[in-house]
Amino acid sequence: MENFEDSIREVAEKLLRDKKVDLIIGYEQGTLPLRTTPCFVEKLEDVKKLVWNASCDANLSKYVVGKKEKVGVVAKGCDARLIAVCAVENQIPRENVVVIGVPCQGVIDRKKIEAKLEGKEVLEAVVKDEQIKVEGEGFEVVLPKKDFLCDSCHTCRHRNPPIYDVLIGEKLPQSTDKNEFAEVSSLESKSTEERWEHFKEELSTCIRCYACRNVCPLCYCKMCFVDQSMPTWFGKTNDLSDTMIYHIVRAFHVAGRCVDCGACTRACPMAINLRELVKKTEKIMKERYNYEAGLGLEEVPPLGEFKMEDSQEFIK
Amino acid sequence: MNNPYIPNLVVIRKITTENEARDIKTFELVFKDPKAMRSFGYRCGQFAEISVFGAGECPIGIASSPMEEDSIQFTVKRVGVVTTALHNSVEGTVIGVRGPYGNGFPMEKMEGRNVVIVGGGFAFTTLRSLTNFILHEANRDRFKEITVIYGARDPGELIYKYDIEAWGKRKDINLNVTIDRAVTGWSGLVGFVPAVLKEVAPSSENAIAIVCGPPIMIKFTMPVIDELGFSPEEVYLSLEMRMKCGIGKCGRCNIGNKFVCKDGPVFTFEELKMMPREY
Amino acid sequence: MKWKTIEKRNFSALVEELAKENEVIGPLKEKNTVTSVRITSENEVCLDFWNTKKPPKEVFFPQTETLFTYRTSKNDAEIIESPAIRKKMVLVGVRPCDSRSLVLLDKFLSSGEHKDVYYLEKRKNATIVGLACNHPLSTCFCTSLGGSPSGKEGMDLLLQDINDKYLIQTVTEKGEKLLEKISWLKDAKKADIEKGKKLSSDAEAAVRSKVSLSDVSEKLDKMFDDPFWDQICQKCLGCGVCTFLCPTCCCFDVLEEGEERVRIWDSCQFLCFALQGSGHNPRPSGKERMRQRIMHKFNYFVKNYGKSFCVGCGRCVQECPVNLDIRDVVKTISARKVE
Repeated sequence: MENFEDSIREVAEKLLRDKKVDLIIGYEQGTLPLRTTPCFVEKLEDVKKLVWNASCDANLSKYVVGKKEKVGVVAKGCDARLIAVCAVENQIPRENVVVIGVPCQGVIDRKKIEAKLEGKEVLEAVVKDEQIKVEGEGFEVVLPKKDFLCDSCHTCRHRNPPIYDVLIGEKLPQSTDKNEFAEVSSLESKSTEERWEHFKEELSTCIRCYACRNVCPLCYCKMCFVDQSMPTWFGKTNDLSDTMIYHIVRAFHVAGRCVDCGACTRACPMAINLRELVKKTEKIMKERYNYEAGLGLEEVPPLGEFKMEDSQEFIK
Repeated sequence: MNNPYIPNLVVIRKITTENEARDIKTFELVFKDPKAMRSFGYRCGQFAEISVFGAGECPIGIASSPMEEDSIQFTVKRVGVVTTALHNSVEGTVIGVRGPYGNGFPMEKMEGRNVVIVGGGFAFTTLRSLTNFILHEANRDRFKEITVIYGARDPGELIYKYDIEAWGKRKDINLNVTIDRAVTGWSGLVGFVPAVLKEVAPSSENAIAIVCGPPIMIKFTMPVIDELGFSPEEVYLSLEMRMKCGIGKCGRCNIGNKFVCKDGPVFTFEELKMMPREY
Repeated sequence: MKWKTIEKRNFSALVEELAKENEVIGPLKEKNTVTSVRITSENEVCLDFWNTKKPPKEVFFPQTETLFTYRTSKNDAEIIESPAIRKKMVLVGVRPCDSRSLVLLDKFLSSGEHKDVYYLEKRKNATIVGLACNHPLSTCFCTSLGGSPSGKEGMDLLLQDINDKYLIQTVTEKGEKLLEKISWLKDAKKADIEKGKKLSSDAEAAVRSKVSLSDVSEKLDKMFDDPFWDQICQKCLGCGVCTFLCPTCCCFDVLEEGEERVRIWDSCQFLCFALQGSGHNPRPSGKERMRQRIMHKFNYFVKNYGKSFCVGCGRCVQECPVNLDIRDVVKTISARKVE
């Protein structure tokens, strides 16, 4: 990992020096333990701020959408996939972006650590060799990293960036042993009513801060449907029915495009498991169209094109 | 505790379409409760929140003169949700009004002085209130010379034609109505407001200027005002910002630490210079 | 000032007693978060927590609030005012930073010619039972804003955890009255009070996160057009986490819901916040919106009310999805050289 950090800095420095890019978007150390924060490097002397570790959880492709200048961006598997989706959707000119691909072994879910520690605050954390050493007032614990990764990382099948211009390190072996849709299966085993109740409960704490939308690289609409007033499509209160409509419509909007990077779930201050809402659509896309979003620049998303041989069974 | 969020109920007595594009209408409103009308005492330059039930609320400058005792008027351009709903209303509809809000024009300061009123386009509404107030027989003596410069894109976009006609017949007002470009059938002034202002060149001696208009008009008018010798403390402008509550609580209409709804909407040019450029 | 104590195991009995004449609202552990909710016989107040996820402002300024309802018919309309909330409330377990935030909100919402009756009516009917912080978090910076982990501002009573029991300190007459009816509370012993004092001073020292605000407002006066805003807004996503979870942010939108006029929380970070009907937006990008938030908290409010509009609770620090740390922003302003 430390090698990765050095390599990223080297690549960034070269790109800036050779004027291949005007800006590097990467990560720098955050202000809290187990946190990094997006870092925008324009000057050579700032390259040293760039870091790489298991807390590099922000999806930086968000910042590439709409950028006019040439950008080099540090991209994990999921980030690179979203760059591909946005490029296919004409939101990112591919030629303007240098993707600095980083094979990713998963990012840490600090909320899981917080829950594990039951009210003890982490003041320092060091991640080394698959272990997380956390320290606080009067305690020190070593936790196995694999148990504290984000849920989306557990089911991730594209740890290597499918598109990149520079690859940091070497590709990781593809993981195939996991049941990618285990969470979906458990939802599927429920009755419609039970599922509805489950989502109702999950979404009942939503405060409509729109962090899930704003963190999502796919939510690039200039004016989101919830913000439109002429006409007003949906209510803006935190009444459960208004809240659910917002989340359901958003889920539809990202269906067939979402790569399950997990950014929405991580961003939610109320710890709502937002990716759960969309995961099922990902499964449908895979089963019906053998399609996974963001694996290349050629394939148009199935919901974005029409074919005569498409199954029409939804028209009854 | 008095609840400032509850509107008074008013009936739309009369609707007048003001322009050819038919997107500016004047609504004459009568309070359902006559007591509420009396307690609604307002000054020129203030605004009120208009409620169209089922659509919402929006702030609108008061277009009638406080001398009119039985009704208040608002001239509204169809832009958003509420104004569209208002435009779709018919005479007899009951809507809501709460206010008056804002500081209004400095009437006391204008007394005994010459008043120069400069307005462009749809923003002329509160200036019409001011002009009618000053021209009222009970008030006219308290003010010296009145110069009005009012411009619109074309004759069809001039609002308050009936007032303009009445003012034109009077000797105690220097009225200058202009349109941007010459068209057949128009025998009045032609040219943008700043140019006409330069031409008319009202004296800044013992005078106050009140300017309302679109940002582009303001931008080119202020240098002329300056050339004419008006000091920034003697020039008043009325600002527009997005507002919801009208009473300084909802938090969106501030420019720096001033709230347009309660500290404004009328500011001197001097004050404006001290405020951040965020409007 | 009176000092009482209550054994921890008896605390639920105290809540029960208070609930006879009041609606008791207190922290409750749900899933992994602590939220302030109405305490009933079915749930139990939890005083072992960092701070509630959402600040207590929502008790007085709910995210969605009906201002009034109406009925319309052809050529008529009728307004039905929402009934004033007369029920007395007791808020238990309010942290000193949050209690201070209520004082700031009181100041703002009662200022000027028109008062915010919806907030003030509820506020008038509420008694605040605070809870001192013995273990401030690394994200707490209340002392930099004039607060303290055992501060009493805005409280009627202050509780302090002294191991096996809570030390209770009366702050106002209202608080004293509340206790009068509970005869079985013990008077605090001198040792209890001493212990409380020691814990307070330890806690004060434990607030290590400091930001210097001495010249921030003054600097901001000259920084409206500073290129600094272009830099700090870069990573901001423009979501409402910081403002919605902020104990002092109280901007709102007013809209129509069925036959109701409601107000909902709004955020200066949102695109539409200042967007005018004409399409003109005086704060068109993240830069202006971020500037508005920082200026409002550390300059505009200071000018209007003499204090910063921040209490250092640290919620925005903990919850910002991209770790945009307001303490860093303030430190950068403080370190900035301006003419």
